[in-house]
Amino acid sequence: MSVALKRTFQHELSLNDVVAKYPDLPRLVIIKTDVQRRGIHYTERALSIVNPDIHQMRSPYLFGSRDGEIKDLPESLLLRDGTTILVDPTPLEQNPYLVDLVDGRLALVDNDEVVEFVKLWPKPKYYDVKTSSGIPMSHIASARPQRLNIFQSSYCHFWAEHKECRFCDIVNHTKQQKNELGVPVRLKPYDVSETIREALKEKGRFTSICLTAGSVLKGNELFDNEVDFYIETLQAIGENFATKKFPSELISSAFNEKQLARLYAETGITSYTSDLEVLGEEKFNWICPGKAESVGYQEWKQRLVRAVDIFGRGNVGTGLVGGVELAKPYGFLSENDALNSTLDEAESLAEQGVTTFFIVWVPRPGSDFHDQQNPSLDYFIRLASGLHQLRVKYGLSIDYNDYRRCGNHPDTDLSRLL
Amino acid sequence: MSVQLTEEQIALLNDRDSHKVLATVDESGNPHVVFKQSIHVAEDGNIHYLELLESSRTNHNLVRAIWFDRKVSIVVKGGDKQSFQIKGEPLEVHVTGPLFEKHYVEIQERLGDVDLAGVWVIEPQEVINENFWLRKVDEEAKHPLFLHLDRIAKTKVQH
Repeated sequence: MSVALKRTFQHELSLNDVVAKYPDLPRLVIIKTDVQRRGIHYTERALSIVNPDIHQMRSPYLFGSRDGEIKDLPESLLLRDGTTILVDPTPLEQNPYLVDLVDGRLALVDNDEVVEFVKLWPKPKYYDVKTSSGIPMSHIASARPQRLNIFQSSYCHFWAEHKECRFCDIVNHTKQQKNELGVPVRLKPYDVSETIREALKEKGRFTSICLTAGSVLKGNELFDNEVDFYIETLQAIGENFATKKFPSELISSAFNEKQLARLYAETGITSYTSDLEVLGEEKFNWICPGKAESVGYQEWKQRLVRAVDIFGRGNVGTGLVGGVELAKPYGFLSENDALNSTLDEAESLAEQGVTTFFIVWVPRPGSDFHDQQNPSLDYFIRLASGLHQLRVKYGLSIDYNDYRRCGNHPDTDLSRLL
Repeated sequence: MSVQLTEEQIALLNDRDSHKVLATVDESGNPHVVFKQSIHVAEDGNIHYLELLESSRTNHNLVRAIWFDRKVSIVVKGGDKQSFQIKGEPLEVHVTGPLFEKHYVEIQERLGDVDLAGVWVIEPQEVINENFWLRKVDEEAKHPLFLHLDRIAKTKVQH
C-alpha cells in the first residue's frame, strides 16, 4: 500500500505529544483512545498465532466495522492494566496501528516502534454451544472480557423513515450480518435465557449483562412495544438468577416515567442509559433527526433526569458518539468550541444526577458520515478528562459502565478509581 | 530491572504461614500498608497478588502504580525470623482469562462466597534481607562510626 495514500496526522499532536501534555492522565488510556480513533490492522505474523479455540473471534455486533467487512479476525484487544480496547479492523490507507508479533508477543506498532504489548480476548466456552433451537450462542450473546451483550433487535425504526442518526450503520450492518452469517434480526427470549444459563457456567467470566437494540416506535404510546420486548427478554434472563436484580444495563430509547417504572419493577435491570449521542439541541436535531422528531432534545434530557428518581444517582447515563459534534458541514468548526459546549451540557445533566460518557466516533462505511474524519487525539483526551472530572465534581459513580462492565469509554476508564 | 528471587525467598513467599505485607502509595504519596496472604510467586518468577475488592485502596493504588510507573513494596517474614523486603513494579493485572478464572475458583474454594477483582503481576526489582542481625553486621562493616560510645567504653554503665 502506498504511503502517499495513507491518512496522515501531521497537524495533530502525536500520541507521545499527548502523553507528555497530560502527565496526570494514564498513558494506557491515551493509547486505548488513539487506537480506537485510528483503528488497527493485524499483520500476517500476528494472525499466525491466533488460535480460534482460545481466542475470541469477531462475533455479531450491533454496528459494523471500519472496513465494512465481516472477516474471521480476533474480536479485540486487552491492555496490561485490564483496559479493554474495542477496535475495528481498518484499511491500511487510513493509517491504523499495526498489531504485530514482536518477540513472540502481540504488540501495537506505529512507525516501526512498539507502542505497547497487548493480549487478545479469551473466548468464552459458550461460543462453542448452540441453543436447543439450533442457533450458535455467539449469535445470541456477544461477549466482552467481562460482559455479555444482548442485541435483542438490530433493526431501528428511525431508518424506515430515513431519519437514522447520521453516524449510525445499524440497519446496513444488520442486513450484512443476516446475509453473511445468518444472525437473527430479533432474538427469542428462550434462546437468550438458555444462552445466559450456559454463559453463567463459566465461573468468574462475566460481571454484567447489557441489553440494547434499535428504537421501536410502535405501541399505544411511543416506544411501548420496545419496552414490552425488553421486559420479556429481561424476565427471561432473570430466570437464571437467585436474586431479583442482577448487574445489568439497558441502553434504549428515552422512555417515559410509566415505561421506566414498569421496567424497573418488572425486571432485574439495575441501570438505564439512553443515548443523546451528541449534546446541544442544534447539533442533535441535525445529527439525530429521528430522535429529535419523535421525542425532542429537551424532552429526551428530561426523561433521563426523571429516570434518576427510579434507578438512582449513578445508575442513569447518556452516551455520546464523541467527535460527531465536529462533523461537517454543520458541526463545530473548532475543537475548543465543541469541547466547551459539550462539557457545559454534560454538566447540566450531571447536576441532576445523569452521567455522560462517550465512545470514540469511527466514521463507518454504512453510515451517512462515512466519508468524514474523526477529531484529534488531544480532543478525545480532553473530552475524556472533562467528563471524568464532572463525575468527580458531582459524586457520580459509574460502576455499571466502567472499564470492566463495559470497556468502551475512555472517560469511564479514568473513573475506575472513583 | 528485574531480579530473580532465590529458592529461599520463593519458599518463604509461598509458605502460607509466612506473614506478607503489601505497601502501596495513594495519589498524594500517602503510604497504605496491609497484610496480604494471597501474595505468592508464580511460575513466571513474578509475584502474584490476588485482589478481592475492586474498590479497595490497595487496588486503586496498584492501578495508579501501573498507570504512572510507581513501585510497590512487599515484606515477607517467616516463623524463623527470616524476613525480606521486595520492591517491585506492577506489570499487569489479569481481569479475565485462564489465570484469572483459575484463581477465581480456587479463592472461592478457600474462602467461600467472595469475588476476585484481579490477579496482579508484580515484577521483583530489588530484594533486601531484613533480618536484623544480618543488617547489623552489614552496617557495622560499612559504617563503623555509627555507634554510641558507651557501647565501647571500658566500663559499662550499670542500669
